[in-house]
Amino acid sequence: MNPEVHIPGWEWYYVATYFFIGGVAAGAYFIGTLAELFGGERHREISSTGFYIAFPLILLTPPLLIADLGRPERFWHLFFRAKGGFPFLNFQSPLSVGSWALLLFGAMAFLSFLDNLVSEGKLQSAHFAKAYSRIPRKWYAVVGSIAGFFVAGYTGVLLNVTARPIWAATDPLVGALFIASGASTGAAAIYLAMSWRKKLAYPGLPGFERFESLSKIIELILVVGVVVLAGRYAAPLMRGTIAVMFWGGTVLLGILIPLAAGWYIPRSAERRTSLANLATVMAILVLLGGALLRITLLQAGQVQ
Amino acid sequence: MGSNMAECHPVAFRWPLKAKTEHGAVLMHVDPRFTRTSALCDIHAAIRAGTDIVFLGAIINHVIHSERWNTDPFFREYVVNYTNAATLIAPDFKDTEDLDGLYSGLSPDGKSYSNATWAYQREKPPVPATKEAKTFTDLLLQRIPGRPKTDPMLRNPRTVFRILERHYSRYTPETVEKICGCPKEKFLKVAESLLNNSGPERTSNITYAVGWTQHTVGVQIIRTAAVLQSLLGNIGRPGGGVLALRGHASIQGSTDIATLYHSLPGYLNMPDARKAHESLKDYILTEAVPLSTSYWGNYPKFAVSYFKAQFGDAATRENDYGYDYHPKITGDHSVMPMVIDMMAGKIKGFLVMGQNPAVGGQNARLQRKALAKLDWMVVRDFFETETAAFWRNSPEIRSGELKTSEIKTEVFFLPAAVVPEMEGTFTNTQRLIQAHDKAVDPPGDARSDSWFSFLLGKRLKELYKDSTNDRDWAIRNLLWNYEPDPAEAAAWRIKDEPSAYKLLKEINGYTWEDGKPLPTFANLKEDGSTACGAWIYTGVIPEEGKNRGKSRKGDEWISPNWGFAWPANRHIMYNRASSDPSGKPWSEKKKLVYWDPEADSGTKDPAGKPVPGKWVAPSGEGIDFQPTKAPGFRGKENGLGFDWLGGADAFIMRPDGKAWLFAPAGLVDGPLPAHYEPYESPVKNLLYRQQSNPVAKVWNVEGNPYHKVADPSYPIVLSTYRLTEHHGSGSMSRWLPWLAELMPELFCEISPELAAERGIRNGEHVTIRTARGEVEARALVTRRMRPFLIDGKMIHEIGLPWHWGWQGTAQGDVVNNLSSLVGDPNVSIHEGKVFTCDIRAGKKGGRA
Amino acid sequence: MPKGMFVDTSICTGCKACQVACKEWNALPHEPGHFRYNPVEKRPIAVNFTGNSYDNTGAMSATDWRQVRFIEQFSEDRSRARWLFSSDSCKHCNDAGCLNACPTGAIVRTDLGNVFIRQDVCIGCKYCIPSCPFGVISLSEVTGTVYKCTLCNDRIHNGLGTACAKACPTGSISFGEVAELRNAADKRLAQLKGLGYGEANIYGYKEAGGLNVFYLFLDRPQVYGQPEAVVVPQQRLPVSSAVTIAGALALGGAALVSFRERGSRENDEEVKK
Repeated sequence: MNPEVHIPGWEWYYVATYFFIGGVAAGAYFIGTLAELFGGERHREISSTGFYIAFPLILLTPPLLIADLGRPERFWHLFFRAKGGFPFLNFQSPLSVGSWALLLFGAMAFLSFLDNLVSEGKLQSAHFAKAYSRIPRKWYAVVGSIAGFFVAGYTGVLLNVTARPIWAATDPLVGALFIASGASTGAAAIYLAMSWRKKLAYPGLPGFERFESLSKIIELILVVGVVVLAGRYAAPLMRGTIAVMFWGGTVLLGILIPLAAGWYIPRSAERRTSLANLATVMAILVLLGGALLRITLLQAGQVQ
Repeated sequence: MGSNMAECHPVAFRWPLKAKTEHGAVLMHVDPRFTRTSALCDIHAAIRAGTDIVFLGAIINHVIHSERWNTDPFFREYVVNYTNAATLIAPDFKDTEDLDGLYSGLSPDGKSYSNATWAYQREKPPVPATKEAKTFTDLLLQRIPGRPKTDPMLRNPRTVFRILERHYSRYTPETVEKICGCPKEKFLKVAESLLNNSGPERTSNITYAVGWTQHTVGVQIIRTAAVLQSLLGNIGRPGGGVLALRGHASIQGSTDIATLYHSLPGYLNMPDARKAHESLKDYILTEAVPLSTSYWGNYPKFAVSYFKAQFGDAATRENDYGYDYHPKITGDHSVMPMVIDMMAGKIKGFLVMGQNPAVGGQNARLQRKALAKLDWMVVRDFFETETAAFWRNSPEIRSGELKTSEIKTEVFFLPAAVVPEMEGTFTNTQRLIQAHDKAVDPPGDARSDSWFSFLLGKRLKELYKDSTNDRDWAIRNLLWNYEPDPAEAAAWRIKDEPSAYKLLKEINGYTWEDGKPLPTFANLKEDGSTACGAWIYTGVIPEEGKNRGKSRKGDEWISPNWGFAWPANRHIMYNRASSDPSGKPWSEKKKLVYWDPEADSGTKDPAGKPVPGKWVAPSGEGIDFQPTKAPGFRGKENGLGFDWLGGADAFIMRPDGKAWLFAPAGLVDGPLPAHYEPYESPVKNLLYRQQSNPVAKVWNVEGNPYHKVADPSYPIVLSTYRLTEHHGSGSMSRWLPWLAELMPELFCEISPELAAERGIRNGEHVTIRTARGEVEARALVTRRMRPFLIDGKMIHEIGLPWHWGWQGTAQGDVVNNLSSLVGDPNVSIHEGKVFTCDIRAGKKGGRA
Repeated sequence: MPKGMFVDTSICTGCKACQVACKEWNALPHEPGHFRYNPVEKRPIAVNFTGNSYDNTGAMSATDWRQVRFIEQFSEDRSRARWLFSSDSCKHCNDAGCLNACPTGAIVRTDLGNVFIRQDVCIGCKYCIPSCPFGVISLSEVTGTVYKCTLCNDRIHNGLGTACAKACPTGSISFGEVAELRNAADKRLAQLKGLGYGEANIYGYKEAGGLNVFYLFLDRPQVYGQPEAVVVPQQRLPVSSAVTIAGALALGGAALVSFRERGSRENDEEVKK
């Protein structure tokens, strides 16, 4: 690996933000789907919340992506040949595949979002609702989840599949790490949304909390793995602002503390109620940690 | 040595590299710095700047006492026959060995030498064959000197060889170590390598450039190399020689066609009011008699043809071909005294073409102040150079030393055309004349320098056309017939550009009656029937309409049909020496010119029988010898030139036909090179009591102070030089962003040892100071620079490239603010390669 | 028939003629980062003294497609003294990381084997930049697209060689058919080995599927700033993808156990934690 590999110069406020939001949306959608598929009515609130937040969030991402382009007005070249207009896809390029995945995920998230509206009776057009209900919702939820996983994970693969030393060294774990982070932040986002919607008192909550914890444990293992793999190229994660954000923000605030809290809170229903505010804070920390994870890993590859 | 060829002659350097990569040649570089050239050489020997003569002298000493040189008969045969080793020198000659660093003949004031005691011992002069002198040639024939006395066994202590042997006896490997700071082993490696790669089967070449010339002993350094190469049999043979790399495109051409003040085109001497030059006859007697037994015996033909080319029909036998009206010099008008005269207000006007003295001139501060003393100045260049802008924003204006309102100099800045915008020729290092076409018209008012000169001449002639003053005769009668034929200018916007063809034809020479170009300088006459601007170029236009400078047929070796090498397309001078005295090649491998006894010479003896035998060169090389003179020919006692020279006298431009190990004439500072310290040196001369060149040109005037020997205030040696990335004073490179960014800022190369001593860090600013001025540069700390341990004292050297000025897009201080006016006594070149200074960390004025 | 260049660094003099020829032919501006505008004199002044030997570029950029590298190797007593030069540019890899990474088809390989960026297609996503293992491609802030050496695409498709090779005064850079250049390179390497240059090596026969622009070095490639074990990033794509999918499956599994069952398994999980 060569330290002279050029820095792409991606702006963190566009790209890392996109990585983060895309991850949250995908995670939320994925949790929603699994809750829908396996949790049945018990987890109905989770799946509906997941679908509700995935679509608006994913809508935010294309502008971020496009804003970082050198030639934003040409963004459509990602999908169609500049000459001839035929669709273009480069399987070797995570960025190319990811763009299509984002498109697909957006479409599925839109369908699920509509479905939620219809099934909760918020879309009053009976005609539309009737036509709509024929579509097998579980199927596109599955397709959407796979695409969503892609959206959450390809950003990590994209970093790994470059020649920048720290990104290349941490291959192949960043994709999985971003997925785990997507799941944990997606869960946190769902929790916050449910809290906001005052729908926390539902029977599936312990299972949900268990998933939260599991995803954080996986994330933690992957974080450790990434640092170990980075080895002698880990320097950017070990000094300066990036180190503070990574170790203090992502690892401590974003994973360890919420994990501890997650072990402490769900002891009894009383505690849960009394510590609702703490749980909300924890969810916010998880989101913060997830955002900092994307920022730090992006920037660690962009310092000399 | 004395050249950073890869840096300053990158295109020419492809040939040494080719020799190295394709033929296994050994490249050696002897230089104070480790440069781009050193990087490509097999051996780099670092020596303290200005000690080249010690190094070369020690090689001479090593060679003549080596086993190989004394046992291989080649060396003895070459040296005895082709050099003046065997010639006896006057008994009253005294060497540096006798006078502790001086030669006999020094004037009482110690400022000049008389060379009377450096002369050859001669036989009695022959009885002149003719009493009556009808022609200039007859005059010369009446004055043939006696033949030099020789001892071919080299036993006589007055032979050149024995004098030389004694002279260099103190130049030992130990001396090299002590004075040059070069380890003995390294020195011996170079000496042995040079010796082992010389001989019948191999030749070695020594290449130099301004690293040798810019010294107060510049000419003598080159002489040392010439002596060494002659001793090694490396002159006149393929792959041998001492190659001078010229500093700019066609600077060789500008020497040939005499931009030098003391020389006429073709290396004729300038008529000089201080010499016995009263009439053309006096001029020819003074200049040609000492040389008459060489090819210079044709001096009258060259000179008369030159005057004919200047004045045409007005040049007649009766008026000495206009000789009296030709300008004569009255003193040393070389660049440095010109500045002194300018400063003294003696010079009123100044035409600056292709020059940027405000940056490139030595003691540039003084030069800029001198510019302010002029009445007028014309600068022709591509950009507003520092010289053109000195009156409004020079450092002296900024510091208040000069005020724009008080400068009376009227400056005319005229735009000049660049090379592709004009037709003409280049004559480069190897004397090769190559013509180039015009590709485009110059933009706007930009015009070529020949256009400017031609039109200026036309206007002056117009102004003087009615003058009856005798003193205006020359300008009225000046032949100025370079009007282009309409066809030549048909394709161009600019119609009054002088005809490059007509200019070159005049230089080439033509018969006066019918204007036919001359194919060779053997056709020149002394009776005014031929006109020739520069005899050495004759043959470049062998017939009307044919310009050999345009031919581009190369081959794997000499390439005789690529351009035209003056004289007479001879690429290797004195190439008769590539065969042994009997005319046989020294070796099959190094065969170039040799005597073919069977060949048809085209001549017949008085009985009408064809005489066989002539010199041949299968490569197509021009033969630098009389084509049919047999190797055994004994020169005529009473002949001129070729008649006097024998069949083994290869060095036809020397009056004895020999290469000069000892120079009885021609040099003003000694017949043999001896080591003197630079004028400013941190050390005493460890070889002789005489510290520096006794007759060096110095100017003790205000604004030109010198440093003392071993001056504690200026303990560091400074060399100035150029880089590949820039051109000269930067006038062709610093204005172009593409080139400016290649070497953006002035930097100073410093060894880590000195940097540590002075607290200097790489990339930061340093200030370098001399008694003349101060400059600020970025530090480039590199081990390519090194200190030298001389006589127990650590001598530090630093280096400054001098391309920068305050104009353009790459800007920096003018390095020549530091240098002084001091020069070589023979050719007036400045000592820019070595002088002393001091350096400290930080910016000028103490800023960090 | 792929065309390429052979750069024999053993005869490079570091003159930078190639850098200038490149800019001249390709009409590239001077590197903006090398100049600072002087408002008093109303002109840009060059300020890019690097202090790194005679290198003036620092790195390849959108306007510096060539970089002559200068490597000083001197021991303290100068008994080891070497100054290496190498003119570096895009290598036109047979397995080109940039081309693989391009999501728009802006980077293409032509019939002559050179890797070419179509400026009218490039969107400036910058993904090719870190995908080049050699640090070649760079973004232009002016056009918003990326640039690198084109192997003088316009010249070579009209029967000419590259501008840098044409300008090279010593023949250090030669242009031609890659196969022929390899023959010449092998001969030169053998010659140098014979002359005692034991460390001499050819760089670019196997790296990145073979480099159409390849080098003869006198020291290890690393010394010249070139990666020694070149991994084209996309080689790692299958494993990277697989591990990511495995990560996704793990999370899927986690969700499964979390959402599907309750009771004893819940306790088990908590014990495990």
